[in-house]
Amino acid sequence: MIRRWGPWIALGVVVVIALAVVLWPHGDQSSAARAQDLETQLKCPECQGLSVADSQAPTSRAIRSDIKRRIAAGQSDEQIRQAYIDKYGDSILLAPEDSGVSLLVWILPVVVLALGATGIVFALRRNRDEPHLRATDADERLVEREHRVEDTVDG
Amino acid sequence: MKHPARIVALAVALVVVVLGVVLALNVGNDPEQDAKQSHLVGKAAPAFDLPNLSGGRVTLADVAGKATIVNFWNSWCIPCEQEAPALQQFYAAHKDDSDFAMIGIVRDDATGDVRTYVKDNDVGWTIALDPQNQAALDFATRGQPETYAISPGGTVAAAKYGPMSSGELETFLAAARASE
Repeated sequence: MIRRWGPWIALGVVVVIALAVVLWPHGDQSSAARAQDLETQLKCPECQGLSVADSQAPTSRAIRSDIKRRIAAGQSDEQIRQAYIDKYGDSILLAPEDSGVSLLVWILPVVVLALGATGIVFALRRNRDEPHLRATDADERLVEREHRVEDTVDG
Repeated sequence: MKHPARIVALAVALVVVVLGVVLALNVGNDPEQDAKQSHLVGKAAPAFDLPNLSGGRVTLADVAGKATIVNFWNSWCIPCEQEAPALQQFYAAHKDDSDFAMIGIVRDDATGDVRTYVKDNDVGWTIALDPQNQAALDFATRGQPETYAISPGGTVAAAKYGPMSSGELETFLAAARASE
C-alpha cells in the first residue's frame, strides 16, 4: 500500500508546501518593506531592464517618493501597482501580471511540467507492469534434461 | 484509465493549442512599442503647478482654452538638441496665434544651465522647472524629449517619446485643436 501510494503522497506534500510558501499571506510588512517590495516590482521607465529600486534615474527617484506617499496615504500594494499600470501600461511591471491572459505565463510551465511528470510515471508503470514470461512445463522439462546431460558429462 | 499515454498526449496537444491561440492573439503586440506609447492620450492632462525661471508659476490652468504643446526636455540631452530647430521653427510660426501655447518642462537639469541655454538659444516659449520630477511622473514620461498635445478642453490629444520634426509638431497642434 505504502509502496504504491508513497510517491504520490510525497508529491502531494511537495506541491502543497510549494503552494503554501507561494500563496501564504506575508503578514503585516512595514511601510519601508512594502515600498522596497513595490520598487523591485516596477521597471524604471527610462532605463533598460532596471527596477525602480536599482535605478538612480530622476523618474525612478520620483516613483520611489510617490510610492512612499501612496503608502502613507493608506493605499494598498495592489492599488499602487494598478496606478502605475494605468499610467504606463503593463510594461511598467518587471514580471508579468498573475491575472488574465498573463496568468498563462505562470500556469503553462507548471502544467507542462506536471504532464511530463505524469507521462514519465505512466511510462515507468507500464514498463513495470509488462507481463513476465513464465516457464511452461515444456521449458521446465527442457531445463531438467539439460541439467541431466550436464550431470552425466561431469560424472 | 486504459490508455494513459493517449490522455497525456491529448493534454500536451491541448496545451500546445492553448499556447498557439495565446501567441496568435498576441501577434502584433510589441512590448517595446507598447512601452513607448503614452497611455494618457484621450485622457485629461495631469494638472501641474511648477516654478518658472523668473520666480513665477506655470500651471495647466494658465493654458486652459488653448491648444497647448508641452515638451519635456533638458539642456544636456542630445536628442533635445536635435529637436531644438524644429521647436524654434514651429514656435515662430504660431507664437502669435491666440489659441496657442507652448510650455517646455525641464526634466533633471540645473536651473543655471537651463537659464544659460534659454538665453543663448533665444527660447521664446514658457519654460517650467520640475525639481521633484512630479510633472514628469504625472505625464508618465520615459525620458526626454517627450511631447504632448493638449486640447483647449484639457485632453491629451497626442504624445510622442523622441525628437519631433516641425511636421509632427504641426500634426500635434492640429490634433489638439480638433480635440475636445
